[in-house]
Amino acid sequence: MTAIARIGGRGSFPPALLAVAAIPGLLVALPIAYAVMRSAEAGLSGIIAELTRPVTLELLISTLTLAISVTVLTVILGVAGAWVTERCDIPYAGAWRIVASAPLAMPALVSSYAWSSLGPQFQGMAGAIMILTLACAPLVYLPVAAALRGLDPGFEDVARSLGRGPWSTFLNVVVPQAAPAVMGGALLVSSHMLAEFGALSFLRVQTFTTAIFQQYEMQFDNATAALLSSVLMALCIPLALGEMRIRHGRRFSRSGKGTARSPQIIKLGVYRIPVLLGFAAFGLLAIGIPFGMLMYWLASGTSAGMGLERLAPAIVGSLSYSLSGGLLTTILAIPLVLASMRLRGAVVTIAERLPYAIHGLPGLVIALSLVFFAIRYAPPLYQSPALVLIAYVMLYLPLAQSAIRASAELVPPELEDVARTLGKKPLTAFMEVTLPNLLPGIGASLAMVVLQLMRELTATLLLAPSGVVTLATEFWSYTNDRAFAAAAPFAAALVIVSGVPVYVFTLRTLKRG
Amino acid sequence: MTLIARRSLVAGGAASIAALAFGSASRAQTGGTITVYNGQHRQTTEALVNEFTKSTGIKVTLRQGESSQLANQIIEEGARSPADVFYSEQSPPLVALDEKGLLLPADDATAAQIPAAYASPNKTWIGATMRVRVLVYNKAMIKPGELPPSILDVVTPAWKDRVGYVIRDGFQEQIMAVVKVKGRDGALAWLKSLKQNGRLYNGNGAAMNAVESGEVATALVNNYYWYGLAKERGEQNMKSAIHFFQKGDAGALVNLSPIGILKTTKQPELAQKFLAFAISEAGQKAMLATYAEYPVRPGVSPAFNLKPIDEIGIPITAHEVGGAALAYELQREAGIL
Repeated sequence: MTAIARIGGRGSFPPALLAVAAIPGLLVALPIAYAVMRSAEAGLSGIIAELTRPVTLELLISTLTLAISVTVLTVILGVAGAWVTERCDIPYAGAWRIVASAPLAMPALVSSYAWSSLGPQFQGMAGAIMILTLACAPLVYLPVAAALRGLDPGFEDVARSLGRGPWSTFLNVVVPQAAPAVMGGALLVSSHMLAEFGALSFLRVQTFTTAIFQQYEMQFDNATAALLSSVLMALCIPLALGEMRIRHGRRFSRSGKGTARSPQIIKLGVYRIPVLLGFAAFGLLAIGIPFGMLMYWLASGTSAGMGLERLAPAIVGSLSYSLSGGLLTTILAIPLVLASMRLRGAVVTIAERLPYAIHGLPGLVIALSLVFFAIRYAPPLYQSPALVLIAYVMLYLPLAQSAIRASAELVPPELEDVARTLGKKPLTAFMEVTLPNLLPGIGASLAMVVLQLMRELTATLLLAPSGVVTLATEFWSYTNDRAFAAAAPFAAALVIVSGVPVYVFTLRTLKRG
Repeated sequence: MTLIARRSLVAGGAASIAALAFGSASRAQTGGTITVYNGQHRQTTEALVNEFTKSTGIKVTLRQGESSQLANQIIEEGARSPADVFYSEQSPPLVALDEKGLLLPADDATAAQIPAAYASPNKTWIGATMRVRVLVYNKAMIKPGELPPSILDVVTPAWKDRVGYVIRDGFQEQIMAVVKVKGRDGALAWLKSLKQNGRLYNGNGAAMNAVESGEVATALVNNYYWYGLAKERGEQNMKSAIHFFQKGDAGALVNLSPIGILKTTKQPELAQKFLAFAISEAGQKAMLATYAEYPVRPGVSPAFNLKPIDEIGIPITAHEVGGAALAYELQREAGIL
């Protein structure tokens, strides 16, 4: 049986892990220090003048419009999709689950490029909202579908036996249990929107992030860019804290596996046809059209085949950097998550939340801050693979944290206490008792982070050793040069290679459990 | 199944960390290699590098990126920059590095081979290739008689929503050319009208596509964007064409892609050889093969069928258009940035 209890942080924590948990906290402080330091160069009056410019307000409005619209729409699509595939009698549910998850494999950079080439109606704010909603819907769908599957239907049975109707049961029993999954997905989507650059560069939408890139392009004393970055961080903080509030004090750990009973399946009836059409349309828009455009370029452009000799090195580059980055990010996230769940205090809370606050920062700011600090204080690291991996950790730590937290919340800390009373040392107890229980979260974290890293562009460009290429950097450089057909194989390879972590992740998340 | 997949992911990750560490150890620099930070079109510079290595035996490590990002990176790197040479697509990034005193002058013998206007006054950078600002137009939407002789004409209310513009890659230089002709206030008024009547695109390529597809009648871009699209689609299929503004007009601006040596280089002789090769006949020919750009070296003919360079241009030096701090200020005042 599952226990829902409201608790504070508790339990013991191995000191060795605490040291590891401090590393990411220190790392994410770097871009913050950098942005604040560079902003300060503008002086107080400069800062006020900059923040009160009409353009700043325009940027604020368009950034918030994009972030809020995409977040709300992905939540609607994701929750509705998850409800239908997990709780309704939709035929071929397995196939629709794949359709709902598959856009994860299609980088927004690629789909945005494909859509924008179809016409001006897709290049404005409405187009951007549509393109990014389609691309991000799985970020809500997958955790919610997993949460719906993992719920113990026993609670719903109890509610109904106490006279609650189906709606009342849904609102009072299902929603509270699925809310952390929904909020976690929504947080990821909205912070992605704040930091999105690649996809928007093909559209006519300006946000703080595109403006930051522009500032860096237009001038070489970057107080303004740093200031806009600080604003962006300020926008991320309420998101990060809001998500924590929702999670705070909820505990869903269980000591048994729970019952294997199936939840009540709702009959779609007359709604079956429109629901099926909706899924089909989603698949067509999110995957069919972008992939069709890739094939069209490949077949029609004269630049086809150009630079093909770099396809193999690019695949190797993408895989080696993204796998290493995924592993390192996950390893550093584990102690951080556990420390925040078991220890109390402001320091721990801040260390755990900081990565979320900088998750909305564009890769450019993270990368430049690392250039600045590495060349001054750790020159051997500069333009070494290690620095790229450090940037990856800073960029995608929250993805790993969220995935691991989802598993960690199901592990009662008392288990480790029991191991310790049986004479195990703290670290041994952790390794033998807690870690094995975290495996599902670790798998999800690896898959999600690897997936995002495969399409990472700016930090790779700025920090990788000279000459290193990845699928994303090659695609980018050819689209910059308008060589669509030459770019297409790199995009196609990116989609196909991304399919592997998506497959692993989807399987893991949706494994009946 | 998923456990195996997970384990193989972990194993793959561990193996790839090892590969990265090992790979970087074996990447130690050998004698006779220079590092070039390249913001110019990749194929242009790669063609140059291939010829250079073939003819001199000196190897080149290319670091590809956007010119301004690379310039920002070089500024952050300071005295420890690994770059020996910086090849920029636009002149403002190199002018900025020059103003910060980060550049080493080119050999006199090298600078003497190209017109003095194609280099900075103190020779800290020299032009490598050139491109022209043009108005591309959709042939079905604009009649030849309607084509304006001056860039000052396309911002009038008569052109409302009929001209696309892009505020990067050549635009700052364009503003400086308008300043040269009309003064600061004239340029500000021009920018304000452009913001009001023009349509902003996020990139030259996007603006070019928009004209070709008939989404907007005209756009202010660099000449080679048209040639690039024509190469991809076939020239006979093009629905758009190029219009040059009158010689002497601010719109008929010729822009340089400059190249310079970093003061912090530890191998100035090799870097000087690279610059000399870039403006040699062989170097120029290699660079002009892919993009419809102009040579800086007199007597070299462009690979594409281009309008002769002496029929375009305005009397303004690359150094003047490159000092784009004023352009930045004007764009902010006009509310474009």
